[in-house]
Amino acid sequence: MNGKCPPPVRRSDGVIVPFNKDLIVKSLVKETQLVKELYGEKPLSEEEARLIADEVQEEILNMRLKMLSGPLIREIVNVKLLEHGFAKQRNVYTRVGMPLYEVYRIDNSDGYESRENANLQPNPETFHKKKADFLSKESYLLMIPSHIADAHLKGDIHLHDLEYWGTRPFCQDHDLRYFFFYGLMPDGTGTHTSVAGPAKHAEVAILHAAKVLGAAQTNFAGGQGFFNFTVFMAPYLVGLDSKKLHQTAQMFLYEMTQLYVARGGQPVFSSIQIESGVPKVWQDAPVVSHGKVWSDLRYGDLEETVHAFALALLDEYLKGDAMGKMFNFPKPEVVQRRRYWEDKEYEDVMLRAAQLSAKFGSTYYDNMIPTYRGGEDGVSCFQCCAYSFSEDGKSESFQKKIMFEGGAHFSMGGMQVVTVNLPRVAYKSGGDEARLLEILKSTMDIAKEALLLKSATIKRQFERGLIPFASQRPRGAPPAVDINNLSLTIGFVGMNELVQHMTGYEIHEDQSAQKLALKVLIEMDKIRKSYAEETGEKFSIARTPAESAAQRFAVADLIHYPKFARELVKGNLESALSRLNDTKDVPVYYSNGAHVNVSAPVTLDQRLSIEQRFFPILKGGDIFHVWIGEANPDPEALLKLNRRIATQSWVGYWSHTKDISLCRDCGYVGGGLSSKCPVCGSASVKNYSRITGYYQDVSSWNAAKKQELIDRYRVRIS
Amino acid sequence: MSGGSGRSRAGGDGDWVYAPEVLPLSLCDYPGEPAIVVFFSGCNYRCGYCQNWKLRTQEESHRTDLRRILEFLGGSKTVCACKVTGGEPLLQLDPLKRIAARAKSLGLRFGVDTNGTMPERLSEMLPLLDLVSIDIKTSLDDSEYEKVTGVPEPRSRKVVESIRLALSSEAYVDLRMVIIPGVNDAPRIARSVAAKLKELGYDNKADKGEARFTLVEFVPENAGCEEYSKMRNPSVGELKALARLIDLRNVRVTHRALGHSVKLEEIP
Repeated sequence: MNGKCPPPVRRSDGVIVPFNKDLIVKSLVKETQLVKELYGEKPLSEEEARLIADEVQEEILNMRLKMLSGPLIREIVNVKLLEHGFAKQRNVYTRVGMPLYEVYRIDNSDGYESRENANLQPNPETFHKKKADFLSKESYLLMIPSHIADAHLKGDIHLHDLEYWGTRPFCQDHDLRYFFFYGLMPDGTGTHTSVAGPAKHAEVAILHAAKVLGAAQTNFAGGQGFFNFTVFMAPYLVGLDSKKLHQTAQMFLYEMTQLYVARGGQPVFSSIQIESGVPKVWQDAPVVSHGKVWSDLRYGDLEETVHAFALALLDEYLKGDAMGKMFNFPKPEVVQRRRYWEDKEYEDVMLRAAQLSAKFGSTYYDNMIPTYRGGEDGVSCFQCCAYSFSEDGKSESFQKKIMFEGGAHFSMGGMQVVTVNLPRVAYKSGGDEARLLEILKSTMDIAKEALLLKSATIKRQFERGLIPFASQRPRGAPPAVDINNLSLTIGFVGMNELVQHMTGYEIHEDQSAQKLALKVLIEMDKIRKSYAEETGEKFSIARTPAESAAQRFAVADLIHYPKFARELVKGNLESALSRLNDTKDVPVYYSNGAHVNVSAPVTLDQRLSIEQRFFPILKGGDIFHVWIGEANPDPEALLKLNRRIATQSWVGYWSHTKDISLCRDCGYVGGGLSSKCPVCGSASVKNYSRITGYYQDVSSWNAAKKQELIDRYRVRIS
Repeated sequence: MSGGSGRSRAGGDGDWVYAPEVLPLSLCDYPGEPAIVVFFSGCNYRCGYCQNWKLRTQEESHRTDLRRILEFLGGSKTVCACKVTGGEPLLQLDPLKRIAARAKSLGLRFGVDTNGTMPERLSEMLPLLDLVSIDIKTSLDDSEYEKVTGVPEPRSRKVVESIRLALSSEAYVDLRMVIIPGVNDAPRIARSVAAKLKELGYDNKADKGEARFTLVEFVPENAGCEEYSKMRNPSVGELKALARLIDLRNVRVTHRALGHSVKLEEIP
């Protein structure tokens, strides 16, 4: 028996010490100060802390333990805090972490957490990241105001990349000129890494470009890219023969798919914008490269090189890697302009892009032709998972950036994405349209609050030099990333299911459904505008990739709104319900953004005519998916289809998704989802397809996305 | 099987056709054009490798309102062409003509797939055709043809006649031969087909950019009969080797590991 003396304490810092009640008092007073900082409420007073500590000692004595541990004492303190009504104080005093069982599962590449992001393949770095992510997510949910955390947990909204909430902005499309003028400083300070002067040779320029994306990835949660890549690279490539040009292009593709270092062992999520020529706004702009702003050279003078480099890049994408497999990064964003379609000279680039779609499905088409894209006078890009960023030519600083005056440059990207569960809004409205719009507004208000909070947090981190690559200022330059210019994006999932609940029809089934979808979108855009005016921040509305959110919302609604959700969720409901108690990784989902149900029996034309109408409103980003049924599409036919989409629709961004099989034994790569290799008969075949906005191994997809792949409506109707 | 046109069975106004499927967008059926593909049912061959084996016979459930198909053609802005395949489309000549007329009036190119057994009907269609796709099964003689087509009187002379007609027309001629290892992949077969096509004037047409001859990978997973589904597909190498034996212009290969109708000289 221990009598009146508590056992010694095994502390988490590795020592064993006698129990000391005063330490509890001290830590309670100190740590609950956070309550003031985070929620503006009162920390524990010394008397309150003493009262708790006394009760904790009492409790421990009653437990008759042989040994105590720091975590155990803390848990007992937490219980006492709750008993005394100090819930907020408990929030900050609690430990965060995960059950040992889950840690074990992660190390064995098992469980839901291992499938949330298909770009993460099992490896030691990934397992480490998963555990860190878990801890981070739990912490941030405790640190943000509880009504926002609750809205996320209940499934009203989804806070994307929660693990990086307090540390990283979302994504960035960089201006290569900055690094070609100031040189490269991967750590942002020059103290931990070497500092390189501006590139002087093609190979070095390519390596710098690759390392910019790799270094930036350590500061950002999401995708990294270069807009106008072929144009800004061109000064280094002038006069190279075709072989050398191809070699240079190939280097970049290998660098971006072999720097297997980002965010816990994955390639950088990267994209490059491929212009076939020099866009109008850049024609008269001075070339920036080799550490200087050229007084006698304009980008317009490099037209031929830009064209040749665009071709070389696409040639290398077409060749694939040494196994003949596609390069899944950097995503090639091939720009569509009227002149590229009208001037015969660029037909070769358009054809290569179509050939690449036909072979691997890899091409993304960034369509500048529709007027809402800003025409030839602005700068804009699609990147990452189909987010769109732009600067229009009328803004004050625009011309300075074009001229690189004092290092002024473009910095387009996203701060954070918060996605709204639209079907949930419909369920709550009771079928009343006016009520629907009210609830939409109040849900978006929470998203807005979350976005502003994130923005303030990140700006503070930025000012303190804690996002050092982004905030670097070599030689007094403006910061690499303009932290005040990042978009606060409100995304949405399940417009199709919202209108289905309200009208009884899916988007493709009836005009009334399409009308309501447009009405809701226009309302969302109005609300967005009011936020922008009120706060001066760049708010935008976008279809989110929702790789996990489309599943999470459907699952949350099956739990909280089973009556409605059972009618509306897409996928395999029966299988989902039977497994829901054991796992949340079940094969149900909501339709992404304002997309037509992937299994709807509609023609490409019908899908196009419906979905194109949403593009002009969704300036924050959208994507039109063409699912290709054929194993061997004819590139020439695909080219003609592209011409029609580019020049005769409002679609601003599209891709053709072709399913690919890869044999790991003989290296066969071909169309279709085969389970057996058609060349050597091996069963060791990997299937690849496009998950939301990028290609990845199907086996790493979550159950909902796998179901969606099965449901995707291939073009045949009977 | 009606063996004739939809009109004869439909009681005068030809309002329906045995056409159970319409593919609203195909990127591999019409050379160089995104196309709508209409599937007619009913065929006078019984090829074991056929991937559309469900369309061999005309079933009551295949009856489709012709007006629906005609309307469907008008609703598409993304396609540039229409093709009718099957089955054997020429078995239902009147509906075929009406679809062709509609397609042409919409500015779409129009083509047809045929096994070549009905040159008279093909000749009647030719003024409306921008494309004739003819399947060549094997050497163009009855004894070889019987093995692949599974019918006792395969009328290979008619097939030759169809190819001759097509080659002397204005239409683009797309000749295809599905290569099945152990069935029709012998070098002598390839040589004999090549010799026959040369004799029929294929090279002249190809020189004008109006004809191509493609060796197509047989895909066992899609075969209609069990015997064929157990066979293996040919490799790219085998198709390439066969293509090399064919002394003709514009010879191509289609294979899942290669792509669609890739020119022999471009195969790595």
